[in-house]
Amino acid sequence: MSISARFRRAVPTLVLASVVASLATAIPPAAAATPTPQEQVEAREKLMKTMGGGMKALTQFLKGEAGGPAEVKKAASDIAGVAAHDPMGVFPKGTALGVGDSAAKPALWDNWPKATGLWGDLKTASATLVQAADRGDKAAVAAATQAVGKVCQSCHEEFRQKKD
Amino acid sequence: MVLRRQSLPWMCLPVWLALAGAVQAQTPPAPAAPDGAVERGRYVFQAAGCLGCHTDEKGGGAPLAGGRALVTPFGTFHTPNITPDPTHGIGRWSEEAFIRAFRQGEGADGKSLFPAFPYPSYTRIRDDDLRDLRAYLMAQPPVATPNRPHDLTPPFGWRFLLPVWQALYLEPGPLADDPARPPDWNRGRYLVEALGHCGECHTPRDWLGGPDTGRAYAGTAAGPDGDKVPNITPAKKGIGGWSESDIALFLEMGMLPDGDFAGGAMAEVIRNSTSRLTADDRRAIVVYLKSLPPMD
Ligand code: HEC
Ligand code: HEC
Ligand code: HEC
Repeated sequence: MSISARFRRAVPTLVLASVVASLATAIPPAAAATPTPQEQVEAREKLMKTMGGGMKALTQFLKGEAGGPAEVKKAASDIAGVAAHDPMGVFPKGTALGVGDSAAKPALWDNWPKATGLWGDLKTASATLVQAADRGDKAAVAAATQAVGKVCQSCHEEFRQKKD
Repeated sequence: MVLRRQSLPWMCLPVWLALAGAVQAQTPPAPAAPDGAVERGRYVFQAAGCLGCHTDEKGGGAPLAGGRALVTPFGTFHTPNITPDPTHGIGRWSEEAFIRAFRQGEGADGKSLFPAFPYPSYTRIRDDDLRDLRAYLMAQPPVATPNRPHDLTPPFGWRFLLPVWQALYLEPGPLADDPARPPDWNRGRYLVEALGHCGECHTPRDWLGGPDTGRAYAGTAAGPDGDKVPNITPAKKGIGGWSESDIALFLEMGMLPDGDFAGGAMAEVIRNSTSRLTADDRRAIVVYLKSLPPMD
């Protein structure tokens, strides 16, 4: 990060972008250096399941079926925690349909700016959710849950294939 | 803590009420004023999900100007322009011609329409709703985008064969209420079978593309865009394990009971159609789905 920040002043942005992009494909980020593509798919599905668990807990609370303020806070921070991941780490190249039981459509990589844009939306929406949960503002939690859900659905609409 | 103090009354609210505010802000409910045909038509338009098929959203096309490619086992359809443009759209269509397209699957030139336009379901829409729907469409901005021909595999591309298909599969005429059933069931059936055309995706098709009515709503591996379409009957392999509020919430925001979110064609149905219905209408759909014969 700090290296790229120092370079940014000297190198024109476009050149920098292509250098970063080629570095990223040539040298996978440290954390992803060892896992196989199958393991990367499993790791992604686990992150997604964490968010699913969070959304389930939130709506159960909203429906009055289960949970209280502590569960709401945990659910919100679980989702925001996943959203804090770098999308390059969540969706590494070479993990589309056909790899393990991946349900990620190749379109996700063909349309990478859209995918990362949605991941950015997820970050913003889940930050609002965390704030609402911390404030204990019921209406705001309901609205933020809906806003987060819209992002989940938009990405699945375009980039995720139905399994089984 | 504020949340604790406020959570009690909130927790008693069904979630569809808690979330309804946000949706209502975008979509005003259809007023029932006798001269509110355009507004009522907007609601019919949303319940029937016309926007997605007739808009090339990915290609940046204008709303309702057509051009979306629908890939099917029979070839690729390019949807027509249904804006009120007199040359390229349906601006010159009379009300009778408009109603005939839905009721009989007949185009303005008298030729039969392909059932990729889901008129086998839309034929069940009532006359008053079709008139309101037309009023709404005619109030939209005209767009002069020409239609693209379909790209179909013989013999499916032969329009002259369509009357045979229609004789086999089309049962023209609006859906009449069943007086033995409560109003919410009747409303739900109308929303599912006529407007929402849910069976067009959720009912498997035979080799000629006709619905396999013996397996209604049992799902299919060959849905639009190669999507697998799940069973939505109240069976073990369907949504028998979903509570009524699970289904209502799914139709409102796309969330499955395990916190996962719908994707593909259904996400679009939810975005353009079921999330825009009134909470009462979503509940009516739930009542009807719960009454379907279970298919395992
Ligand atoms: C930027 C795109 C994107 C966003 C945003 C997104 N998802 Fe996903 N999601 C995917 C993709 C792609 C898959 C398929 C992953 C795979 O099978 O490798 C998936 C799969 C899932 C799964 C199934 C995991 C499994 O076990 O197979 C769940 C559950 C899920 N997502 C929940 C969510 C929730 C909840 C949200 C919002 C809080 C969300 N997702 C937001 C793209 C996204
Ligand atoms: C599943 C996709 C789909 C949906 C949903 C859909 N249409 Fe269509 N529509 C088509 C296709 C494809 C055609 C072209 C049929 C043909 O060429 O025979 C068509 C044809 C038409 C026509 C005839 C136009 C012409 O120039 O011949 C009209 C009018 C029309 N649709 C209006 C609507 C309205 C209004 C709705 C909502 C109630 C709607 N459609 C929903 C796919 C769809
Ligand atoms: C254009 C095709 C299409 C139409 C029309 C459609 N669906 Fe779906 N539906 C799907 C697909 C595809 C899925 C699977 C979505 C996913 O999770 O990826 C689905 C999933 C569902 C599910 C979740 C079932 C499960 O086990 O995951 C329900 C419930 C449902 N649809 C109800 C309806 C209702 C009610 C209507 C009519 C108002 C409708 N659908 C109209 C294609 C369609």
